[in-house]
Amino acid sequence: MADAVSELRQSSSPGRADSKRSFTHREAIVGLLFVLPGLTLAILFKLTPLLRGAWLSLLETRGFEDPTFAGLSNYQAMVRDPVFIQAFRNALVAFATLPIWIIFPLILAVLIFQRGPGWKFFRAAFFLPYMIAPVVVGIMFRQILAPDGALNAFLRASGLAPLAIEWLNGSDSSLLSLTAVALWSFFGLGVLTYLSGLATLSEEVIEAARLDGAGYWRLLIHIIIPLIKPVMGYWTVLCTSGLLIWMFPLIYALTKGGPGNSTMLPEYLVFTTTFQFMNRGSGAAIGMALFVFVALFSAFVVRRMYVEGSGKSE
Amino acid sequence: MILSSSPPPTGERERGLSVASTLRSGVISWLVTAILVVISVVTLYPLLFTVINSLKTRTAFASDPLGLTWDITFENYVETFRRMDFPRLFLNSVVTTAGGLLLSTVAALFLAYAVTKLRIPGRNLIFLFIISMLVIPSQIIIYPLYETILDLGFGGTYQGLIFAYAAFGLPISTYLLAAYFRSIPDELLEAARLDGAGEIRILFSVLLPISAPAIAALSILNFVWMWNDLLLPLVILGGSDKKTLMVGVALLSGQYDVSIPLISAGLVVALLPVMVVYLFFQRLILPGAVSGAVR
Repeated sequence: MADAVSELRQSSSPGRADSKRSFTHREAIVGLLFVLPGLTLAILFKLTPLLRGAWLSLLETRGFEDPTFAGLSNYQAMVRDPVFIQAFRNALVAFATLPIWIIFPLILAVLIFQRGPGWKFFRAAFFLPYMIAPVVVGIMFRQILAPDGALNAFLRASGLAPLAIEWLNGSDSSLLSLTAVALWSFFGLGVLTYLSGLATLSEEVIEAARLDGAGYWRLLIHIIIPLIKPVMGYWTVLCTSGLLIWMFPLIYALTKGGPGNSTMLPEYLVFTTTFQFMNRGSGAAIGMALFVFVALFSAFVVRRMYVEGSGKSE
Repeated sequence: MILSSSPPPTGERERGLSVASTLRSGVISWLVTAILVVISVVTLYPLLFTVINSLKTRTAFASDPLGLTWDITFENYVETFRRMDFPRLFLNSVVTTAGGLLLSTVAALFLAYAVTKLRIPGRNLIFLFIISMLVIPSQIIIYPLYETILDLGFGGTYQGLIFAYAAFGLPISTYLLAAYFRSIPDELLEAARLDGAGEIRILFSVLLPISAPAIAALSILNFVWMWNDLLLPLVILGGSDKKTLMVGVALLSGQYDVSIPLISAGLVVALLPVMVVYLFFQRLILPGAVSGAVR
């Protein structure tokens, strides 16, 4: 009896394992075929160029001559290059405006969240600039910020003539003008990001605060901000990396890095070094330096997406 | 009758109090609306300014660059069409955007299905690898990417830009689809499997119809950035006759003899398709846009 049972188990279990193994095997092959197109795209057009860029940054390139291996000399020249230093210093100045990038959309989101009259219109209107191609935004604002453009005409007409400065041509004002145009272009995304965070707050929390007689600012600072801290963190990280990688079309259309190098940012320096001065090795080295910073910030975004997307959070 | 003739005093007091508080909250909500109106004027004015200028003649613009005009002309649009070879540029933008959109969506569909619904080794690792490609922005790898596209024989071709668009749209598309697929119960697929459906059948005739909202949302997100992108088409298709609308507008604005009304017409033409899409698909765009901000 026991023998028969064990015999039965022996005869049946290899079969089951077999069928399971072949099923998994088949599934693995199908799965492999399914991930192949996407993996190929990612490897060919993202990973390979990154590795080639890292290698290129170690080469000495002169115009169209054959490149030669040069070790770290591109990096050594880079850190001594005043334009490179200014590009990163300009990035730091742009970072100084981050508090505005973080708080301004938050205030607007909270105002829209109160669902006053026309809140849907305001939400759509604020997001509109984000939909416009940044290069188009740049050309538009080049006309508006010109010395005799719309903004200065408005300032003169309203008796604020001393404020009518050379927005894009002054070496002090140009970087801030560029950052302001970028803010115009991207703040709507921040408003939407905050609104998606606010949507997760329960009505009761806010009602309770209201009944308590909590004023608007108390409500904002003591209740809403602590509850949507993760969303604020996400938006902060996004803006930080955005100030490094969103600006190219705006610079291209508005200032081309000038006057002097006052609006030169690292991403634009990579472009001009490579395509204008034909110095591909140096361009790659600057690209790698920028990559370190961008990767650092975007890694937070990726981690958040991985935790959400791989279903490990629950 | 009796009830209505003798209103309870507490009610009176409450009503008075509520009038005061309504008044106060009325003032506040009026203030809030005023702030929102001012900001939306700031966001909408540049667009309005561009549209108005595009309808002015050169002389009307010179005499009054800011005001409205009754002397409307479509001359600038005719001139823009001629200078930019608009039909060709429009076709280039449509072909590359549609190609990139299609390829990245199909690749993401297969990927997301494999990493969420098939038991394959290292599926979380593959998912992580794909979305970690987000840390490589186009600006940093633009020259080596251009070199790679040349090496593959796609220099100056539609395919070159289409592959680049697809690769840059892939991480976010995979992420959104994977998140959506995870919310679909496995039992549904098991039932189809028992019916003898193959994996491709399951993906396209079971999962695809259910995922239509997610696919629509990510298609619009990808459409917007691909249509609007400057750097990739500028470098990959640059000076060729395959340049996209955005590159054409950027080059037009760099010509020395271009007047502001003429450029404005070019800008309106370039941003019209996205504005139309935004107008019609707002419901899809607004909720999905937040996650589509990185690529």
